[in-house]
Amino acid sequence: MNRWTSRWRTLLGLLFTAVMLFPGYWMVNVSLTRDHDMRRQPPMLFPVDPTFDGYRAVLKQQLPYLGTSLLIGLGTVALTIVLAAPAGYALAKLRPRGGGLLSFVLLAAQMIPGIIMAMGFYAIYLNLGLLNAWPGLILADSTIAVPFAVLVFAAFMSGIPEDLLQAAYTDGAGTLRTFWSIVLPISRNAIVTVSLFAFLWAWSDFVFASTLDSGGRLRPITLGIYQYIGNNNQQWNAIMATAVVASIPAAVMLVVAQRYVTAGVTTGAIKD
Amino acid sequence: MVVYLAAFYAYPLYRNVDLSVRHYTVRSFVQGDAPFSGLDNYREVFDDPTFGPALGHTALFTVASLVFQFAAGLALAVFFNRHFRLSATLRALFLVPWLLPLIVSASTWSWMLNSDSGIVNAALSMFGVGPVNWLTSPDWSLVSVIIANVWIGIPFNLVVLYSGLQAIPGELYEAAALDGATGWQQFWRMTFPLLRPVSAITLLLGLVYTLKVFDIIWIMTRGGPVDSSTTFATWSYRLGFGNLVPQFGRGAAVGNLLILLAMALSLLYIRTQRKQRRP
Amino acid sequence: MTLLRTGRRVLGATLISLAVTAGTTACSSSDAPGDGSSGGSSYTIWDPYPQYDDGSAWVQLLTKCGTDAGVSIKRTAYDTSDLTNKALLAAQQGNSPDVLIVDNPVVSTLAEAGVLTTTQENKLDVSAISPNLIAAGTIGGKSYGVPIGANTLALYYNKAVLRAAGVDIGSVKDWASLTAALGKVIAAGKKGITFSGIGTEEGSFQFLPWFWGSGADLRKLDSPEAVASLRLWTDWLKQGYAPNSVINNTQTTSWQEFATGEYAFAENGTWQLGNAKKAGFEYGIIPVPGRDGGTAAAPTGGEFVSIPVQKATGRYDTSKKLVQCLTNTENSYTTVSTLNYVAPTSAVQDKQVAANPELKVWVEAVKAAKGRTSDELGTRYPKISEPLWTAVQGALSGSKSPADALAAAQATAAAATK
Repeated sequence: MNRWTSRWRTLLGLLFTAVMLFPGYWMVNVSLTRDHDMRRQPPMLFPVDPTFDGYRAVLKQQLPYLGTSLLIGLGTVALTIVLAAPAGYALAKLRPRGGGLLSFVLLAAQMIPGIIMAMGFYAIYLNLGLLNAWPGLILADSTIAVPFAVLVFAAFMSGIPEDLLQAAYTDGAGTLRTFWSIVLPISRNAIVTVSLFAFLWAWSDFVFASTLDSGGRLRPITLGIYQYIGNNNQQWNAIMATAVVASIPAAVMLVVAQRYVTAGVTTGAIKD
Repeated sequence: MVVYLAAFYAYPLYRNVDLSVRHYTVRSFVQGDAPFSGLDNYREVFDDPTFGPALGHTALFTVASLVFQFAAGLALAVFFNRHFRLSATLRALFLVPWLLPLIVSASTWSWMLNSDSGIVNAALSMFGVGPVNWLTSPDWSLVSVIIANVWIGIPFNLVVLYSGLQAIPGELYEAAALDGATGWQQFWRMTFPLLRPVSAITLLLGLVYTLKVFDIIWIMTRGGPVDSSTTFATWSYRLGFGNLVPQFGRGAAVGNLLILLAMALSLLYIRTQRKQRRP
Repeated sequence: MTLLRTGRRVLGATLISLAVTAGTTACSSSDAPGDGSSGGSSYTIWDPYPQYDDGSAWVQLLTKCGTDAGVSIKRTAYDTSDLTNKALLAAQQGNSPDVLIVDNPVVSTLAEAGVLTTTQENKLDVSAISPNLIAAGTIGGKSYGVPIGANTLALYYNKAVLRAAGVDIGSVKDWASLTAALGKVIAAGKKGITFSGIGTEEGSFQFLPWFWGSGADLRKLDSPEAVASLRLWTDWLKQGYAPNSVINNTQTTSWQEFATGEYAFAENGTWQLGNAKKAGFEYGIIPVPGRDGGTAAAPTGGEFVSIPVQKATGRYDTSKKLVQCLTNTENSYTTVSTLNYVAPTSAVQDKQVAANPELKVWVEAVKAAKGRTSDELGTRYPKISEPLWTAVQGALSGSKSPADALAAAQATAAAATK
């Protein structure tokens, strides 16, 4: 490729990214703005007179919430994979009766608005005593990701060459063993994909958290943010500071993880 | 798996259907003796003056969000498919909107679109365009929530479509280039058709997710002013939770209609996809 | 599904490269201490004050009340708008909290649903409570809880802004003089008035002083008086006396606008006193004026402490001790000071004014205030309030004229309260 086009592309890419990330920048800007400057007209483009009150508040109050969110995110990922990988495999390879129907039901399950699910959960949890506890929230959050995950696993695993599995069976491995030592390792990339989605969904969930865990000792970060949008006060710099603190590690990891994408693509190309 | 499905999807759904066919007052909700009322709730919902606008807004919100998300996602995916300096880093940064909790991104947007002290109006006024009441005018509120939703949806479309593009072998392009095809022709004759299965799943999932978008609209406008950005999702929530006295029955009825709508649309979509594939 | 099956090959490859964050989730861990053990008997309290965290004086007060009663307290704070539904759902599942603190206009709704016990049943003494405050929790002669404290609305004004515009606050006596004052302020290059017209109960709450101040009655939303009050707000918006943002303003965001120091007036409540001191400019407070002078009745705000119906009736005794601890004349002062409220009894109100003369105007305002569910509206109030705030939204956003908006509201309200 011509060097000039490349340079133009970089420039254009930077421009696009700038536009796309402007709301993100704005968030940072607000997080540093003093309360009484918040509603300045016109707004200040740069935090001329920055305050770190927001960040102080976050570091003092929000770290436990971040931990909880992490715990719930990871828990959801684990539960989703444990549930979805075998189900996907069953759908793709063992072809149970009614498999097609099941796929449709899974798709349909994704259509139920979160608030309806949350209402149902609330009633169940109230009786089970799972309210305001993180395991309940993990269970609830997994319902967002599981249908999607099953579909992804099914799509992926049906691409695993049949002879590979046959070979395993011939070697005397049972279904379970084949699944564990052949199918799962091959599906590593699907697992990573599903994990990513499950984590992101659990991380940003608000409806379930507010319905099922708003009074718990361990609350996720979305509720931590909500706390600043209280009845009588909205500490915007603290809200935005929390959001910034919460997304920085994730954003850094995204950038670092770029090489895994390339690696993933190569594996895919070889397999195809 | 079946147990999981039954316990965690079927039960809430069953409850919701049950709610929607009973006549609930606040008292009977608590005491659990609400009389069966058949489809009365649905009839009331159909007769409600909010029904027409809500249906229209749901359709407009969904179609506009899908079209712009997909178009932007695809354009960016094609753009990033060529390697250039920083391309990988920039692409990763595009995912940032996805990492933000919806409550934060929606709040940020409502901040930016604030009539009086929002940055958007400040920028517009530099070009001499008068202040637009993005969130408080019935003419603009739906546009505003669509803009925010498109912004949030672009990363998903970009990621999936980009990965689809990566799966198309590079030799195909080399061959096409040898045949003298222009970039534009390559895109329409090769990229687009080859990308169809991925596009299909992206749009289908997009449809399902967009129909039930709730948080963004609720945080930015609460469906207002005067229903001007009310969709089925927010209407259902408002009936069931948003008022001093909850109307569980009707809220549930609207929710069920939304699910039915989603199912009908996806069936229709899957069917047309299937037809198109067989020439 | 065939769609998935055929699209599988490209899709499969696609998914591989979706593996953006292979390393993301593996490297972090967090410790999760288990739920705190609740030894002995534990009593649950639900309140609508999420802004107070565990270190706050409010929670310390609750804990102390628990200790005094010999039990441990499990306190859960919900957002006001969520609390009603949570309470109803919990009651449906037979799992109500022992003590429920809930916004006053929903007390009648919860009572009608059979969720709350009456003060006759639980033997709580409400005789000292001001009649206009207990009214919100009284249905058919029975009261269903004790007001924990009261608040109401008035107009805050910025002294510097008024001085610069040459407005004497003493001249602001009715709607006409207020509007004239706003005109002067705008002419002087400052901003007029901010309030909250959001499409929720907050919007109705803020509109009511003007609605009542015109002589209108909630039982007839489309009266000429009512139209006049809505036209007042709408005209302010049209003339730029009030910012367009009031349509989406909560009382909090409205306060933040006032706190910029640019606005002459803000309609807000007792609870902002603490923030007002921090705002960094001189402020004053006047009651909301009536249309032709005098003081408009503002709605009472504030919560009721109530004891929900329990299967285990033996729990009532302790619950009663907890409620008394929060509301008894001796303790009430602590509670209302903690919450920035005005006390519900005149004895404690006097004590508050003695300690802080600034509260005098608020105590007067609370005495003149009117319960939203009064006028025998009771459970009909919520069904009237929703059409009302919808009408306010319609008129402010310019999609309907004030008269049309209120006519539609009256039709809706009449149908809902039939």
